[in-house]
Amino acid sequence: MTFESQLAERKAELAEKWADLVLRTYPKETQKVWGRQKDRFQNPVGATIIETTRELMDLILEWADAEGIARSLDKLIRIRSVQDFSPSQALSFVFLLKKLLRDEFFQPMKAEGGLEELMRFEAKVDNLAMMSFDIYTKSREMIYRMRVDEVKRAQSSLLRKAGLVADVAVDSSAD
Amino acid sequence: MSNIPKADELFKSIDYTPPVTGWMETPVDFSPGHWCYPAKPEKIEYMESKLPGLWGPARQWLPSDADWKLPPNWKETVVNGFRERLKKFRTLQLFMDICVRCGACADKCHYFIGSGDPKNMPVLRAELMRSVYRGEFTLAGKILSKLTGSRVMEEHVLKEWFIYFYQCTQCRRCSLFCPYGIDTAEMTMMARELMHLVGLNTNWIMEPVSNCNITGNHLGIQPHAFKDIVDFMVDDIEEVTGRRVKAPLNEKGHEILFITPSGDVFADPGIYTFMGYLLLFDYLDLDYTMSTYASEGGNFGSFTNNEVMKKLNAKMYAEANRLGCKWILGGECGHMWRVVHQYMDTMNGDTQGPQMTTPKSPITGTVFDTAAATKMLHIVEFTADLIKHGKLNLDPSRNDHLRVTFHDSCNPARGMGLLDEPRYVLKHVCNHFFEMPPQTTREQTFCCAGGSGLNTDEIMEIRLRGGLPRGNALRYVQEKHGVNLMACICAIDRATLIPLADYWAPGVTISGTHELVANALVLEEGEVRKMDMRQEPLPGVEDEDDDWTPPNMEEA
Repeated sequence: MTFESQLAERKAELAEKWADLVLRTYPKETQKVWGRQKDRFQNPVGATIIETTRELMDLILEWADAEGIARSLDKLIRIRSVQDFSPSQALSFVFLLKKLLRDEFFQPMKAEGGLEELMRFEAKVDNLAMMSFDIYTKSREMIYRMRVDEVKRAQSSLLRKAGLVADVAVDSSAD
Repeated sequence: MSNIPKADELFKSIDYTPPVTGWMETPVDFSPGHWCYPAKPEKIEYMESKLPGLWGPARQWLPSDADWKLPPNWKETVVNGFRERLKKFRTLQLFMDICVRCGACADKCHYFIGSGDPKNMPVLRAELMRSVYRGEFTLAGKILSKLTGSRVMEEHVLKEWFIYFYQCTQCRRCSLFCPYGIDTAEMTMMARELMHLVGLNTNWIMEPVSNCNITGNHLGIQPHAFKDIVDFMVDDIEEVTGRRVKAPLNEKGHEILFITPSGDVFADPGIYTFMGYLLLFDYLDLDYTMSTYASEGGNFGSFTNNEVMKKLNAKMYAEANRLGCKWILGGECGHMWRVVHQYMDTMNGDTQGPQMTTPKSPITGTVFDTAAATKMLHIVEFTADLIKHGKLNLDPSRNDHLRVTFHDSCNPARGMGLLDEPRYVLKHVCNHFFEMPPQTTREQTFCCAGGSGLNTDEIMEIRLRGGLPRGNALRYVQEKHGVNLMACICAIDRATLIPLADYWAPGVTISGTHELVANALVLEEGEVRKMDMRQEPLPGVEDEDDDWTPPNMEEA
């Protein structure tokens, strides 16, 4: 049996364990509340954690849809990049999958002499991490751009009155 | 192979574990991004000269500094101020005593839902204040401090207040779920009042407050500049509709005084809503005026203390009296309506002139008894009544390129029960209207996360995570129904929902409700529009005149 099919057999359980590890990156009181509230509109972070870990588990096993993986990562990273995390904390959830795999499979695979299989699969997780850096940075850049745009919008009429913006459509200059 | 680090070793370098201390002992992060800039000293000096004794020492300080330069007697000032307010405001005393920490509110705050920070659970945020109440004012708390979760006022406690009572938008969603009806917004108001006494403040609130006290509006725009800006919009309306509308300012002897937040005059996209009001009033030939002094419906005093709130609110009746108006029509604003609906009558009702009467629509004859106390009517009620009586010729197909949803702004929705009127208006001016899920709308609406003076860019991350619940529901209707526009009836929403939508549901734009009314309003039988209020061509209309080439693209 390949390592992938071994994972596929337990994918629901593994996704759930992974989600649980991600949930544990939040304070204790929060884990309790987010573990309890199942409504995705009242608990979007909890719901996104469960949804993305499940989706990603499928997508990694398939390993065919890079855009799908990016989309799925984006959902969770978009949230974690505005939460009170350092960049490494924000992206730790990818490495938690590695931790989970090692916790679950390292010992038995070592005993069977199959660690190469685990390492080969871990390269996929490393790929997720690299994609995550790009997505995280994109989110952060977007936030900075939005800050600048907001300042401009807040005083649009004043800039126009002060003649500080060129409205080319009504340009009446002689040149 | 044996060199591969053990799983736990590998993760030692990654700090992904949450703080293991209890929530109250977890240290607060004071690095930039966690707070709004404090007020410029000159703003505080000015306010001290107008309303002495409420501001503490004016000074340069930053929350990231270890020394906040508090006055030497700060502790006494805060504790005495607390005691005084417990006596003065019975609600505060009640809210301090009555909470049984049932936790019904715990997961109802948008800031908690988005951040996962336990101190954003309303029960625990209030506990930051309640613990001091027990420690300072109750016997049990004084004796059994640890057991009752009590603490005395210390500098770190005050600093924590500053961070967390500026992470409450006073939206009152938590109050909706509280079995005792505890109004957390009022607790936040009290905490902020107390902090002001020792000079802990934010510039985003205090600069508008001081500007308002001088010129009447947040940006400090003077009458001549205000008129120029309104004239620009009159030009723009003519460009779109061919009609030159009246925009009366400071004219005496009209029936109605119209007051709207200045964000509608100065900020994109509020200006299109403002054009909507002007076009509607001109169409109706309404007997009204605006005022360049009551040129601000917003009242950042309500984010500061009750004294300033009262002072800034007073201009509404003062201008109605000076101009001889019978009643006031109010534009699309959020906290303005909280102040008007909940506090204005108590604060300034005795200054209503004898000429003022209960609002009555001159077009339909409807008497708005609900506004009998304040003499101030919400424009959405006014417009809904016009539509109900068939007084507006509307062509909703002009908004056919828009798939619209509606964000209930916290203050009009939870604060005054204005739930159906905006929907009634929207459904008559748009053919494609879709509701977000019920647990995120009407009374249960999720805040924009920019209310109560938090709509400033230096805390963009805090706003975005607080905006997640709204953004998440918006994303849902975007995916399900192709929604591409979220309408609202609040000027702060019109500003803060833009980054919220750009981040959580990219592709959805934000507008006021009367912008869409203006798009649909047929001014004369057979009137054809080529563009919407934003001067964007309507679908199917080719812009024949667009043969203009940017100067740097012309051939030399």
